[in-house]
Amino acid sequence: MSVGSLTAPEVGEEALDPDAGAWDAIPSEGVPLVPVPIEAQLNAYVRAAWTGRDYGRSGPVELALARHGDRLLARLSWDGSAVPPGEFTDAAGLLFPREPGTAPPVTMGTHAEPVTLWQWRDRLASQQGLPSARHLVSTGPGVFRPVPAGGEVSARSSRAGSRWSVVLAGPVEALATGSVGVAVWAGANAERAGIGAVCATWVEVAP
Amino acid sequence: MRGTGRPVIERTRMGEYGANGDTGEGAGAPGQVAMVFDLNKCMGCQTCSVACKVLWTREEGEDHQWWMSVNTQPGLGTPKGWEEMGGGWLDGQPVPGHQPGRAEFGGGWDFNYQEVFYGGTGSSTHLRPIDHGDGNTRWGMNWDEDQGGGEYPNSYYFYLPRLCNHCTHPVCVSACPSGAMYKRHEDGVVLRDESACQGARFCMEACPYKKIYFNYARNVAQHCIMCFPRLEAGVAPACARQCPGRLVFVGSADDDESPIHKLVHQWEVALPLHPEFGTGPNIFYVPPLSPSRLHEDLSIDEETPRIPPEYLESLFGPKVHAALDTMRRELARVRAGGQSELLDTLIVYHWNDLFGRYTTDPATLDRSPGRVPVRFGRSPSTPTTS
Repeated sequence: MSVGSLTAPEVGEEALDPDAGAWDAIPSEGVPLVPVPIEAQLNAYVRAAWTGRDYGRSGPVELALARHGDRLLARLSWDGSAVPPGEFTDAAGLLFPREPGTAPPVTMGTHAEPVTLWQWRDRLASQQGLPSARHLVSTGPGVFRPVPAGGEVSARSSRAGSRWSVVLAGPVEALATGSVGVAVWAGANAERAGIGAVCATWVEVAP
Repeated sequence: MRGTGRPVIERTRMGEYGANGDTGEGAGAPGQVAMVFDLNKCMGCQTCSVACKVLWTREEGEDHQWWMSVNTQPGLGTPKGWEEMGGGWLDGQPVPGHQPGRAEFGGGWDFNYQEVFYGGTGSSTHLRPIDHGDGNTRWGMNWDEDQGGGEYPNSYYFYLPRLCNHCTHPVCVSACPSGAMYKRHEDGVVLRDESACQGARFCMEACPYKKIYFNYARNVAQHCIMCFPRLEAGVAPACARQCPGRLVFVGSADDDESPIHKLVHQWEVALPLHPEFGTGPNIFYVPPLSPSRLHEDLSIDEETPRIPPEYLESLFGPKVHAALDTMRRELARVRAGGQSELLDTLIVYHWNDLFGRYTTDPATLDRSPGRVPVRFGRSPSTPTTS
């Protein structure tokens, strides 16, 4: 998927706030999402538990990118769960290929082609000692591991009704290949790990 | 609660298997550690539960966690109604299960200490759990204690200590998408690398025994680790060593000379709980004998035990009948003046006979500063938050 209008202009620190006016002037694109294929789930339990169940219906996600010094800022906005959260929370993530030519993000990477994942989860920040966002490497649906010394990833979020707006910020080097992907997990539907919605192809960012 | 300073449990340096995608087939550990609980001796004192609690689950987010717990049978247990929550294996395929939520475990309550002790109404206000509206105060780890089953004069109950079964085919390991869970080659203990756990909780769904808890404060699942640092130091798990009833055997079922081997394989009086769940538990139970039923006129029905055999079969499978027959036969032999190696084993004349090669007294371990008597994946000096 090529979105020629998506660029990453320089912005001030205020853009870390998803409701900052700075985002009004930055082009955004609606990124459609699809369910992570059930066939791609790597373990038999997840396949057994989720085959025939509806999931991955979130999206599209309105995506805008910006830079602040050596930080890449990404604003994601989408309709989240309208019901109060239960065991699981709404979540969203950015996927970045680590090498040019990496397979599409629909499987959230593979063992042979790991992808970088910046993940925000609702309520995580209110929990003991936990950051609001995590810097992970993903090698398949739900196969996430923390990235040692991968650079800090932070997030700020706001909510208007059921609509989330989240700004994820992390090292600008993540965008080195010029491609980015988006994933969303609907907490009210118990979506987590590899059960969620993801863009089927990489979104190309204009240099 | 906070401040015990327990290090985060990371992947140990010992060998392991059971990474993401492992079906658990053929995953038997050569030196699998097993335990046998003799239910005829369990008095429901919860010393095992407290020993575990004090040692392992005193950190933030662990208030409601009882890796070792004792429930009255028949009963709904903990989490409430766990036997009907699914999970396990059937015909080689994992069975979808329910993830028990916080209210189903219950417990971990906050009490109205402020109101009672400092609110000026201490003479009229009673100490009670504070209802936060999340259902936590309507159940707990031992909520239905001593309710049991049957009708007077044939009411009955017994106690069932439960912990992670450290299964031979651990479906929790198979269900973990992040590969955080694994089963060690050396002793078959099922562990979780808490630094790799992403909090997906598929393990909690898949475990048919529902002995995995979720730490909402740290966003990781947690379960009994069979006191593996103690095992590595030759010390029996805390639940076993602290048991005043001397009913918990520890050792390898593969050691022909061990009491566990004899109880499980030779005499076949120690059985796994719910073998139909298909995971191959390594925790075994000697089922409870019971007195005879009473007729309505209170005369004794010598032929019928108070605890219905069909109920015991629902817990321990059809082999329970032969196990009970064996114990009755051995009891009769002793009552007739004979000898019984089985009964001598179950009596446990010498405490250390319970523990196989795990007889080291923890008080003898070197606990001096800088000395780590037990091995964690991370130095004890490392902060406990991940």
